[in-house]
Amino acid sequence: MKRHITYLACGIIVTLLFILFKENIYESAYYAQGFSDQFYNLGLYTPVALITAGTAWIGAAIYYFAINSVKFDRWYHWLVMLVIVTLLAPIICYALNDFVFANNDLMYIAESINFELYNMVFTAVLFIVASFSMRWWSSNCRHTPIPQ
Amino acid sequence: MKLFIFAIGGTGSRVLKSLVMLSAAGVKPVDENGIPLTNFEIVPVIIDPHKSCADLKRTESLLNAYCDIRRQLHGEKVNARGFFANRILKLHDLAAASTRTIDDSFIFNLNAVEHHKFREFIGYDTMNQANQALTSLLFADYQLENKMSIGFVGSPNIGSVALNEIKDSEEFKAFANAFSAGDRIFFISSIFGGTGAAGFPIMVKNIRQAQNTELNNKEVLRRAPIGGLTVLPYFSIDKGFDPNDRRIDTADFIIKTQSALEYYDDTLTGNNASSLNAIFYLGDKVLSRPYEYDPGDKRDQKDPAHFIELIGALAPFKFAGMPESALSDFNGLPLPTKAFEYGLEKDTAEIDFFAMGKQTRALIFRRLVKLHMLFMYLRTGFAANIGQGYTEDNPRITREFLSSQFYRTLTTRFFNPYAEWLHEMLGNQRSVHLFNMGAENMGEAIFNVKTKKTLFGSKSVNNDVVKAELNRISRDNHDYDDGNVALKLLDLFDQAADKIVTDRFDNIN
Repeated sequence: MKRHITYLACGIIVTLLFILFKENIYESAYYAQGFSDQFYNLGLYTPVALITAGTAWIGAAIYYFAINSVKFDRWYHWLVMLVIVTLLAPIICYALNDFVFANNDLMYIAESINFELYNMVFTAVLFIVASFSMRWWSSNCRHTPIPQ
Repeated sequence: MKLFIFAIGGTGSRVLKSLVMLSAAGVKPVDENGIPLTNFEIVPVIIDPHKSCADLKRTESLLNAYCDIRRQLHGEKVNARGFFANRILKLHDLAAASTRTIDDSFIFNLNAVEHHKFREFIGYDTMNQANQALTSLLFADYQLENKMSIGFVGSPNIGSVALNEIKDSEEFKAFANAFSAGDRIFFISSIFGGTGAAGFPIMVKNIRQAQNTELNNKEVLRRAPIGGLTVLPYFSIDKGFDPNDRRIDTADFIIKTQSALEYYDDTLTGNNASSLNAIFYLGDKVLSRPYEYDPGDKRDQKDPAHFIELIGALAPFKFAGMPESALSDFNGLPLPTKAFEYGLEKDTAEIDFFAMGKQTRALIFRRLVKLHMLFMYLRTGFAANIGQGYTEDNPRITREFLSSQFYRTLTTRFFNPYAEWLHEMLGNQRSVHLFNMGAENMGEAIFNVKTKKTLFGSKSVNNDVVKAELNRISRDNHDYDDGNVALKLLDLFDQAADKIVTDRFDNIN
């Protein structure tokens, strides 16, 4: 049990660090003159980081506690969930970016797509972090994607 | 408490087989408050000179499988819960190491008897003419010529002479030495045959008269609580191919029973005798489907399991659970014999759990259903679950477990006879229809018992439901840190099945 609490604590800390240092993390991964400055100026890093982290954690929670079925307890079921979450979070973020940019008469379609491609990686990483933080308490899927 | 069960003759072996099935399911004796007895052990001793009897061999094989399984589950622990809870011991296990001269077997060694014809055994040829004439009055020619290696072939007058030798045997001495205060003795025998009808009163007499011997525990034995299941006629026998061979005839069963009952009344159960503390009478006016004629030398007596044997197997549990005050007086001497009979709730040709009556249901329904669910799960779902869910919790159940000694013993040496036992009872008369043997889904496996209704139909019980319940219980359970994978599987299943029976099946009690 102690080990599982440690995993959960680590997961929360990693996610909080991601949210806290979102600008540095995102910009070290993808920086485009103009786009990144506007992204920062319009305060988009915060909602994007929250959506990314939130989708990853909610997706993992849905898989481990709502679905939590013996019919979906194999590694490939988890992988399907990862793919869904990894696509979903950037799509939501892209929609938000696009909406905010449009309201400010800006247009960064290519940059936004590139940014969200990088964001997919962060979403996937956060989904993995969330999975390993909470899976121990799932009755049917705690050994997914790999046994404890 | 150790309960020494002497199963005498073919019926004794068959009832014992049912008792092993019930013990495997986890049926335990309960006291007058319904609390399972603790420190309860069973020491079965099969008394039958007919060693090639298929019923005896099947029971012995099942007993050995049970003991192997239980040893791997619980080691030498006396108290256990769930499947295979009752500890079963051989007399040999109880004998002091220095005096282990008896066979390592559940079968009482009757070498002195079984290799002779009856006439040789009594020394007929060395008798003088007057004694030979007297002997010929007491025994028919076919009885004198009877080879006792096939039993006493419906002739209790042979058995009563031959089995009197038992008191001098090493096995009897080992039993007497192993018996201690607080232990009990139970006999299982039929009254309408030869071996059981003769062996039962002789054994009781030898135990009660132990004070005349050199045995160590003779006073304890004299006061030992003794119970007996006397099985009245319940099966019938084909006429056979040879019309002149009438050694066993269904038509004789009732008259034999009457004679034996009168004898028992004089020597065991009557007001002037009371050698027995309790006696259980069990029979059925509806006789079984006719069994193939076999005095023992035709096909080695392989008779199908029967409902009476299943109910008979409950008698030792009932006896073990009776309070001391109901059996003996303040001096530990037997009170007048208490007699019990069994009645069905419904007099029907097809017996399901409902026909058995409430008390029987309360004792066996849940346990047998759980055992049957285990049987189905191991056959249809378990192997596919390895590597997933609860099997990955420590200690891990890996594919190697499927080829382990334990798993093979459980699935073949135990569950094959279990399936055979159910099939035989189903095909017999009265037909015991507890489970739908062809059912692929556990929810449809209990005959006449449905799963609970929901808004859109009824609850399902299948391997996925079992697996989910096993996963849930395993997550919260850390009792198997010693790495006993077998115990983990069966104990988890016991708990999971218990929850499923409660939550998903209609309550029939």
